[in-house]
Amino acid sequence: MGAVLKHPTVAFLSRRLLHSAVVLLGVLVVVFSLLQLVPGDPIRIALGTRYTEASYEALKSASGLDRPLLVQFFSYLGNSVTGDLGVSFRSGQPVTELLMNRLPATLSLALVGIIIGLVIALVVGIWAALHEGTVSDAVVRIASQFGVSIPDFWMGLLLITVFSATFHLLPSSGYVALTDDPWQWLRHIILPASAVGLVAGAILTRYVRSAVLEVVSMSYVRTAKSKGLSRRVVTFRHIVRNALIPVLTIAGIQFATILGGVIVVEVVFAWPGLGNLVYNAVATRDYPLIQGTVLLIAVMFLAVNLLVDMLYAVVDPRIRLS
Amino acid sequence: MKTTTKIIAVTTAAVLTLAGCSSGESVDLGDGTSDATSAPASSDTLVAAIGGEPDQLDPHITSAYFSFEVLENVYDTLVEPDDSLEMQPALAESWDISDDQLTWTFTLRQGVTFHDGSPLTADDVAYSYNRIINDALTTSWRFAAVESVTAVDNSTVEIKVSQPTPNLLALIGGYKGMAIVEQSNVESGDITTNPIGTGPYSVAEYVSGDHITLTANPDYWGGAPSVDTVEFRFISDGNTAMTALKNGEIDWTDSIPVQQVESLTGDDSINLTVAPSTDYWYLAMNENRAPWNDVRVRQAVAYAIDRDAILQATTYGTGVLNQLAIPEQSGWYTEYHKYSYDPAKAQQLFDDAGFTGATLDFLATSDYPETVTTGQILADELKPYGIDVQIRTLDFATWLDEEGSGNFDMFMLSWLGNLDPDDFYYAQHRTGGGFNFQGYSNPEVDALLDAGRTETDVAARKELYAQAATMIADDVSYLYLYNPAVIQAWSPNLTGVSARADGAIRFRDAVQG
Repeated sequence: MGAVLKHPTVAFLSRRLLHSAVVLLGVLVVVFSLLQLVPGDPIRIALGTRYTEASYEALKSASGLDRPLLVQFFSYLGNSVTGDLGVSFRSGQPVTELLMNRLPATLSLALVGIIIGLVIALVVGIWAALHEGTVSDAVVRIASQFGVSIPDFWMGLLLITVFSATFHLLPSSGYVALTDDPWQWLRHIILPASAVGLVAGAILTRYVRSAVLEVVSMSYVRTAKSKGLSRRVVTFRHIVRNALIPVLTIAGIQFATILGGVIVVEVVFAWPGLGNLVYNAVATRDYPLIQGTVLLIAVMFLAVNLLVDMLYAVVDPRIRLS
Repeated sequence: MKTTTKIIAVTTAAVLTLAGCSSGESVDLGDGTSDATSAPASSDTLVAAIGGEPDQLDPHITSAYFSFEVLENVYDTLVEPDDSLEMQPALAESWDISDDQLTWTFTLRQGVTFHDGSPLTADDVAYSYNRIINDALTTSWRFAAVESVTAVDNSTVEIKVSQPTPNLLALIGGYKGMAIVEQSNVESGDITTNPIGTGPYSVAEYVSGDHITLTANPDYWGGAPSVDTVEFRFISDGNTAMTALKNGEIDWTDSIPVQQVESLTGDDSINLTVAPSTDYWYLAMNENRAPWNDVRVRQAVAYAIDRDAILQATTYGTGVLNQLAIPEQSGWYTEYHKYSYDPAKAQQLFDDAGFTGATLDFLATSDYPETVTTGQILADELKPYGIDVQIRTLDFATWLDEEGSGNFDMFMLSWLGNLDPDDFYYAQHRTGGGFNFQGYSNPEVDALLDAGRTETDVAARKELYAQAATMIADDVSYLYLYNPAVIQAWSPNLTGVSARADGAIRFRDAVQG
């Protein structure tokens, strides 16, 4: 047992998990405090245009907002630890249930988006780096600068206008679960995932290009070339594999950013994901739902980063988990 | 005096109203003879895109319009507004009012069942109303004058009121927030996502964030609907919704950018309807603060602004100017045209008040862009008089805080879905009224509004509100701007739907094909 705990992988994991728990606690404290500081009364919004003082007090009490702040916080903290994120003020449904309903849509959008982004970035970035200074490199650099500057929601509107409104090739909105109908899932996900992926791809292309350029100038690449290894072996085994390490970090962060940041794209495509949910939750000051969504996004962010750190070892055996 | 309304009279009225509505052809009156089998298979489903997702489906809890767009088709009320917003029998077949006006006795329609097959009884009605009253739910203000609701027998409900309440029917039937719900559905908690009503459609599926599917209720008391399935999708982006409609992905939407109305008008691929609504937009000045507490200053502002410019900029001409709240098509409409764009008169009134200039803290909200646009127009128009309009643009939740705490010089907002004149004027202009944020107080108006609440003679009641409304506008408690339009679009294949002034979305008479 002791030996297992001392295993570098286990030790690394437990240290990282402990670290993550501290971060999550911090997230809870910050979100809870921020919500108290932000103006806007969830009770008044929930009650709508017309109500009486009695209705106000009744709902406030039913929502638990009449309790002292510290009591609210510790009861929330206590429940969160057991996985109970409370009940949404507005929908009356458990927050955990709402989040789990929405997670698949956001995960699939972010995954397909980052895959599109990575494919573009790897192909175009490596190509541009290996052809540094040529016209095609310049074109790539200009195009990626362009892509970085475009907001993803605007890209979404552009894609709808071209592929849906003009050529009627793809649906403009909606979501079909992969398990329900893979073909329709693909048709519906192409446009929103492209909106996300093209922008992510532009960002990643720049990293891939500069990472590859850096590796190309390394002495071991020169050595490999002078040993007479084939161009293919040098490119993929020596250059790309080494260049992937920094790219992986950025891709991980980019993926996590997409997970937490596709709000506007989801709104544009009426995509039933977390973004759409949190957008409404913030507008209506649905505290439990906002807290729960932020917590989930934080958990995913930490998980992706942990995964990326572990992938390092696969890509680069020199990196020891200790 | 006894008032009895019989179902026959109402059926006739419904036929006449429907025959008179614009989309008159092949309207299914729910007599069960509509031939749905001859329609193509695709016509079995009507896909409607609404601008957002309902927060939940418990009609007594939600206050979101998106919820009621769905619930209108799922639930029934004792009475309901027809196309001209007159109250007609629904779950109640008839009603009597006692001679002293203090007891209303409703007789329920026979043979009505909930979607789960259980029969509707007077107990369900009493349970629904008492739930709203006892839990002080959001609509409990509608029962302010109600002392008790009791089930006399299986099909008779008695409502006792503390004072004559001529608008009781509007209060209990104005919208589906007053729906008759099923006790077991409430107590199991299922009502938030799977409500069980008595309406023309039952909820078949609710996929959070994506759609709600309704299935026709074959046992609906008004006759089974012609369209088998109605799917509500949530598309907040108006451009996306219009593309979806033109592509045939959806059949109906009200998620329409007002800027596009003009270019869509000549488009044969869709049916676009722009109909007057009972909603209204207004400006309010803070009468707890100088100089806005001076009626001459408020009147000067009323003469200084170009309402038509605001109307064009915010509604692209789809709204209708109105210097009072109640729109022209309502039976409660009062003619009133005191104000006009008159800079000389404005200056004169400012001078009379000894007003030389001030900053004006204008509350705007990004959730309703028309408030920002109007703020900009006002800044321009009031500048010559020495008024420095400072626009504070907030999100709506914060905006409500500021309004509630009286932290503003002026704000712009709208009221939605009102039917009875008491809805339009009491809470907003009565001294100490729950929504009198501007701090207006006029004892004469108070007396008129109080009298209007209990006056049972319709003509006398109308006169009371005409007087009150005129004084309210004379005093510029609200500076009324316009009634916006209800804007809806649907596929040319769809008939039997119409854009209603109260914004209720009813698909029970819809026909596809």
